[in-house]
Amino acid sequence: MTDTANTPAAAAPGTPPPGGPADGGATTTAPRARLSTHAPVPFAPPPGLGANLVTLLVPPIIVFALLLVGYAMARANLEPHRQFLMPAGHALWSEAFSRPEVRRELFDRALITLGLAMAGLAVSIPIGIGLAVVMFRAMVLERALFPNIVALQSIPTLAIIPLIQTALGFGTLPKILIVAKFTLFAIPITLLLGLKSTDRDVINLFRLQGAHWRTILLKACFPSAAPALFAGLRIAASLAVLSAIVSELFFLAGRGGLGQMIINSKIDFKYEQMYAALIIATLMSVCVYVAFTWLGHRLFSDWHESGGKET
Amino acid sequence: MNTHEHEHSTAHSPGQAVAALSASVPPSELALGFSDVSMRFPDGTEALSGVSLSLLRGEFVSIVGPSGCGKSTLLKIASGLYPHTSGEIRVDREHLGYTFQDATLLPWRKVRGNVELLMELRGYPAAERRRVALEQISLVGLDGFADHYPKRLSGGMRMRVSLARSLALNPSVFMFDEPFGALDEITRERLNDELLALYLRKGFTGLFITHSIPEAVYLSSRVVVMSRRPGRILETFEVPFGYPRGPELRYRADFAALCGEISVSLRRAIEE
Repeated sequence: MTDTANTPAAAAPGTPPPGGPADGGATTTAPRARLSTHAPVPFAPPPGLGANLVTLLVPPIIVFALLLVGYAMARANLEPHRQFLMPAGHALWSEAFSRPEVRRELFDRALITLGLAMAGLAVSIPIGIGLAVVMFRAMVLERALFPNIVALQSIPTLAIIPLIQTALGFGTLPKILIVAKFTLFAIPITLLLGLKSTDRDVINLFRLQGAHWRTILLKACFPSAAPALFAGLRIAASLAVLSAIVSELFFLAGRGGLGQMIINSKIDFKYEQMYAALIIATLMSVCVYVAFTWLGHRLFSDWHESGGKET
Repeated sequence: MNTHEHEHSTAHSPGQAVAALSASVPPSELALGFSDVSMRFPDGTEALSGVSLSLLRGEFVSIVGPSGCGKSTLLKIASGLYPHTSGEIRVDREHLGYTFQDATLLPWRKVRGNVELLMELRGYPAAERRRVALEQISLVGLDGFADHYPKRLSGGMRMRVSLARSLALNPSVFMFDEPFGALDEITRERLNDELLALYLRKGFTGLFITHSIPEAVYLSSRVVVMSRRPGRILETFEVPFGYPRGPELRYRADFAALCGEISVSLRRAIEE
């Protein structure tokens, strides 16, 4: 029971550990351990594909169902003469989605809105990339441009739409510019951050070979900033459809997109069709966002840390 | 002024032959020379003060010194990444190998693409790039990994890719900025052996920066101890062991004795 003699401290009175230490290394000054026994715990078996799908789909479906129930309850509590504000599901079907002419109108107008959103992105993406490159190249230009980009973003777009209309008329161009203005901000901000985050020593590696800055930009900085740029593109893409619809609300001449349909169906008192247009617009916005997310994943999942799969 | 480089050479195990390699090199063949090099950053920080060091062709020299003493700065100056403020440097920047503290691979390129990178920047034709790259990949023992992304490799494998990338240009002088500092001890010792094999096979001149004294002694024909900032050379130790060297060298008494001596010198450098 007593400790071996070569560590006198261990021979202190009081609490020799039960069974005693095997050698003289232990001291009784260490606090006594309160041991408990642990049996092995088996891992849960990995869930099958079906179970995975269930855990993936069921939670959002439940939330969506709860929202529908909330909608139905709100509708039930409306005074009857105001119930047109919240059309019932069957009315949505019978008045909108079941009718071929409404479906055709939704489809045509969705294409117009989508085209407008894409045209806006086609303007804002190159400009945004150009701004980021210019700011990355010269600190002076970053100081000159960055505050102005922030200022541009801070102008309330809706408030300048009348001005845009006065200056540029009611054609397609002003609508494209409105979408471009909405979607521009995220691109230079994220791309500039990505470009500046390029590993210093990777740039040194290129410099040691006497590489031109354009080579460094194209072969080192751009690829390393691409995932950040795609984060910006996802934000821009989700804003594009939204801003296209907003711009259409203000331009009612000619054959417009879903935004115009929303205004028209209000004027015509066809609230089912308004809801249908809203639903399609939402789906389209989600689809554009998902498409950019998917594209980013396709491009970067092989090598970037954010890309899933095993590492 | 320039003499402090050799103010202290160890007369350590005198019976043994001086490093076989430096003995076989004609003494006039300079591969890399610093004479009285100083460096002051624009903010006034003095990084290096009066460093003189000459590397003969085929020599392998390691520099040890306290953290932040300007060891890396010395390499950056030699390679032209930083300017120096006074003194003279003689170097062949056209045929310079350089590895950084990290492997600095481009994560979006596969192993082969990474090994081809420097050749690509130098404008080698694609067919030659491919051939040389596969050769180097095989030389560093990564056969079969040419089509892997760096993300899928271990730290040691990434460092091998980094070495292969520099070797592809057949450097005459190879500078190493603490390349194995982030690796575990076992991997590090293996890479030391592999680096020695590459050194003997390719025959470059090596300038190696490290925090590990055993690593410095194991690799080098000379070990240089630098002072705290502003960095200058305090002592130089000749390493009397010939090449090729094997792992058993690490456990020899004279190896340990030399490490101990350098360690004392390094501690003096930190405390002075």
